[in-house]
Amino acid sequence: MTSTSITRRHLLAATAASALGLGLMRPVRAAGGTTPIKIALVTSLSGPFAALGESMRAGLELLIAESGRQMGGRPVTLLVEDDQGKPDEAVRKVRKLLSQDKVDVLCGVISAAVALAIRDIVADAKALTFISIAAANGLAREAASPYIFRPTKTSWMLGHTGALWTYDKIAKEGGITLGSDYAAGREYVGDFINTYRQQGGKVGQQLWTPLGTADFAPIVMNLAAAAPSFVYAFFPGADAVRFLQQMRDFKLQDKIRVIGPGALFDQEDVLPAAGDAGLGGVNTYHQSPGAPASAAFAAAYLKARNRIPGEASTSAYATGQVIRAGIEAVAGDIAQKDKLKERLLSAPVSTALGPMRFDARNNQAILDIYVNEVRRGADGKPFNTVVHTYPAIQDPGPKA
Amino acid sequence: MSAHLNTTTHQAPAPAKYRLGDKIAAGLVLLLALIPLVSGDGFSLRFGAEILLIGTAVMSLNLLIGGGGLVSLGHAAVFGAAGYSAAVAAGSWGAQLPVMLVIGIFAGMLIASIIGLVTLRSAGLFFLVLTLVVGQMVWELAFRWRDVTGGADGLRGFPKLALGSLRLDTPLALYLVAAAIALVGWAVTRSFQRAPIGQALAGVRDQPIRMGALGYQVGRIRVTAFLLAGAVAGAAGAIYPFVNQYIGPNSVHWSMSAALIIMAVIGGVGSLYGGYLGALVYLFVQTEVSSYTDRWQLVIGLIFVATVILMPNGIAHWLGQRGVRGGRS
Amino acid sequence: MSYYLVQTLNALSFSVLLMLTGLGLSLVLSLMNFVNLTHGSFFLLGGYVAIHWIGAGAPWWMAFPAAFVIAGAVGLVLDRFPFGRFYPRTHLMQVLLTYGLSVIFADLMRWGFGADTVSLPTPELLRGVVFVAGLPFPIYRLFIIATGGVLALGLWYAIDRTLWGAAIRACVIDRGIVETLGLNTRRIFTVGVVLAAGLGGLGGALGSGMLSAYPGLDEEVLLLALLVVVVGGLGSFGGTVLSALLLGFVTTFSRVWLPEFANFLSLGIMAAVLVMWPSGLVVRKMRQV
Repeated sequence: MTSTSITRRHLLAATAASALGLGLMRPVRAAGGTTPIKIALVTSLSGPFAALGESMRAGLELLIAESGRQMGGRPVTLLVEDDQGKPDEAVRKVRKLLSQDKVDVLCGVISAAVALAIRDIVADAKALTFISIAAANGLAREAASPYIFRPTKTSWMLGHTGALWTYDKIAKEGGITLGSDYAAGREYVGDFINTYRQQGGKVGQQLWTPLGTADFAPIVMNLAAAAPSFVYAFFPGADAVRFLQQMRDFKLQDKIRVIGPGALFDQEDVLPAAGDAGLGGVNTYHQSPGAPASAAFAAAYLKARNRIPGEASTSAYATGQVIRAGIEAVAGDIAQKDKLKERLLSAPVSTALGPMRFDARNNQAILDIYVNEVRRGADGKPFNTVVHTYPAIQDPGPKA
Repeated sequence: MSAHLNTTTHQAPAPAKYRLGDKIAAGLVLLLALIPLVSGDGFSLRFGAEILLIGTAVMSLNLLIGGGGLVSLGHAAVFGAAGYSAAVAAGSWGAQLPVMLVIGIFAGMLIASIIGLVTLRSAGLFFLVLTLVVGQMVWELAFRWRDVTGGADGLRGFPKLALGSLRLDTPLALYLVAAAIALVGWAVTRSFQRAPIGQALAGVRDQPIRMGALGYQVGRIRVTAFLLAGAVAGAAGAIYPFVNQYIGPNSVHWSMSAALIIMAVIGGVGSLYGGYLGALVYLFVQTEVSSYTDRWQLVIGLIFVATVILMPNGIAHWLGQRGVRGGRS
Repeated sequence: MSYYLVQTLNALSFSVLLMLTGLGLSLVLSLMNFVNLTHGSFFLLGGYVAIHWIGAGAPWWMAFPAAFVIAGAVGLVLDRFPFGRFYPRTHLMQVLLTYGLSVIFADLMRWGFGADTVSLPTPELLRGVVFVAGLPFPIYRLFIIATGGVLALGLWYAIDRTLWGAAIRACVIDRGIVETLGLNTRRIFTVGVVLAAGLGGLGGALGSGMLSAYPGLDEEVLLLALLVVVVGGLGSFGGTVLSALLLGFVTTFSRVWLPEFANFLSLGIMAAVLVMWPSGLVVRKMRQV
């Protein structure tokens, strides 16, 4: 279905693009002749997050190509390592990248477990690291580190805004939460419940199901029986697709409002497979393909990969923009880590996720959070449409 | 052939080949073990330490597979549970090497004895699946008991390994500790295999009913083997978290158990050195090949299938056969 | 009351799905004594074939035979090499060979079909619901239950009541004697493997409507199928059906009452069964020693 067949038009476009890239690259090489800056992307090209990993690589490669394969006057080499979504493997790969490949900048990381596992290694090595997707709250709090930047959301930022929106616009009581029973699910749902209660709302039942649930029907029936005013849910990847489809199969799609963090309705990862089963869902996300900030990127990505970008590709692209801004501020002299850091902390970087400021306490991005509703887009397919924006949401950060 | 569901390789290699292969493998292992010491960069030493520790776990599994015909898909649970216990204990009492080892050995023996007792009456494919199920229950525990195990995120930030006031957190120190554990673990396993009980274990593997008729307590022999394998794997598992200052649920997952079996087979079922060779080949290929191609799983799969088809008795025995032929010509 | 009725139907549909995934594996394992861990790959392949078949606009009902034929063809190729050499080998060697092959297939399918989750574009006809005492129940699930029931009956009939089935069963008990009767046992085994692979593909085509298809599904399905077949015992289809029902009902009702502990409970009960009946629920009497 989504396997893109290569048409002549694609080939032409690709040839044109690479010709353009080469054209931009040549003068730089001739003028520079300096050693390249090595950027390492640690991502999952196998394992449960493989699809996200491929999008991530495509997003970052698009940015590097658009930058003419150079940043701050120096050529850029990209090394991609597969972490398989396993922390043990990621740790090995990161050590190798630092010790043998001697990379200048690390970025990527999808799984929160991986981000936490490599945290001590990169912190000890004082390696410049940019976490692009992993949302674990801890990395903005007790596990924050001076050289680790987070150009992405924290779980709190999405759970919190989800609760604000639900309380204001959907219902003040009678909702159910339903989460995948692992770290990310616990964080999203926990933060949702906290804020919702602070607002004065009352949460009903809290349901948890193991990661990798094949059949949601028994739980969906429980939802039908409880007839809640809304469901706040979180599942990653294939679980999300199955949940949404089985909600539709049991004819609950139009009866029960489903709200969740953006990953539940991710434009690239979930919606193409879930199809119309995603319609009507509401999610809070730092990414929206319909937001003005990502319009240029979304168009370029659509052209390059024939698909609308979701979080993984957009985040990787934005990470690249942040890295580029930092490198340009030190004119390619990556050894000046503190000057680079100062640049990122002092002024916002304009990215595909919107203008990005960093919190000086924990290097955590302060981001606009969009409320997306899944509606039919211009082509009739489900599309995350921005219905509201919570500006400049800042994680509470480390305890003072 | 098919009436009883025995899962071992029945055709035991000829003793001469077997011993020669083992000798060549031993030499190879020693030689390879020196490489990180010479090259000396942090990554190689740590990677070497990981290979030695995982190799020790593979060796102990090999005692069960090669010695007893017990193909356990729950051995990672033994190895990983020891790692978790050590990491948790380190959090509250500090990471003194002897304490960690004792805790790891006990945890390993505990889980191994549970698996051994539960599977007492199973054999063949039933044994395989039952160990898988029990191992996955351990994984569920590690994954779900967030307060203690850190859940999906695993544990990090525990103290670094030490002996008295001597810190053992440098790559070299970790490598040496791992090498010492590998050496002692190997010696213990070897003496078990050569002792009467080791011989009895082989008897239980090949002819369980006849052994029972001869008056051997089959169950007791099996559980003893499990206890020993658990102790050795537990000692290695106890140090494993300190190599990278991290332990997570992947280390108890069945896929890790499957990887351990693959390593054992690549190295050579029944060869104690083979475990190290297998761990080296597997981890090296996985770490290096994936840097060059997205299709690394294809490469690993092809290597593995080729091993099964061309060298069904593993590298160690294959080396032995080469050696014998070379000697004759 | 109607609530429990629908939950029972849910359990039944999940059980039938488990049985469908287990049927092929059970066939090669209980009748030919061959452990085939590539069974999960056949399942996923069948799912992808059905999804692309319907996605391409071909008549939807043909998708299931197509999945059967394509997966069966892969089975035929594998039977020529390298399965053929491994029929007389030990279970350990069979497990290793087929596990390695399943790793290769997983990567090839990822290469060919991409890493994204895709799902079956269910035909309009099967997308509706029927109301069971006031609660909705998807027609697609009834379709799965019906198809699974028919397949299981058909297979039982073929193995237990036809000459072909008798030949396969005879091969297992004493291949040599069957050869002396002038039957080509090699060919009989080939038929068994092709049939099993086809059933795996068909199971995947049907299952993809409920589970979607994505890299990694092959492994998940394989584990479930292995559990079902082994817990059932290696003797008969009866055991497989019984254990599929057991696992399906345990999983479903633990999700109903204690969703958090669903996995733990189902693992625990399966372990308990294997501890109490170390050779599975239904044991075929065999001569030992």
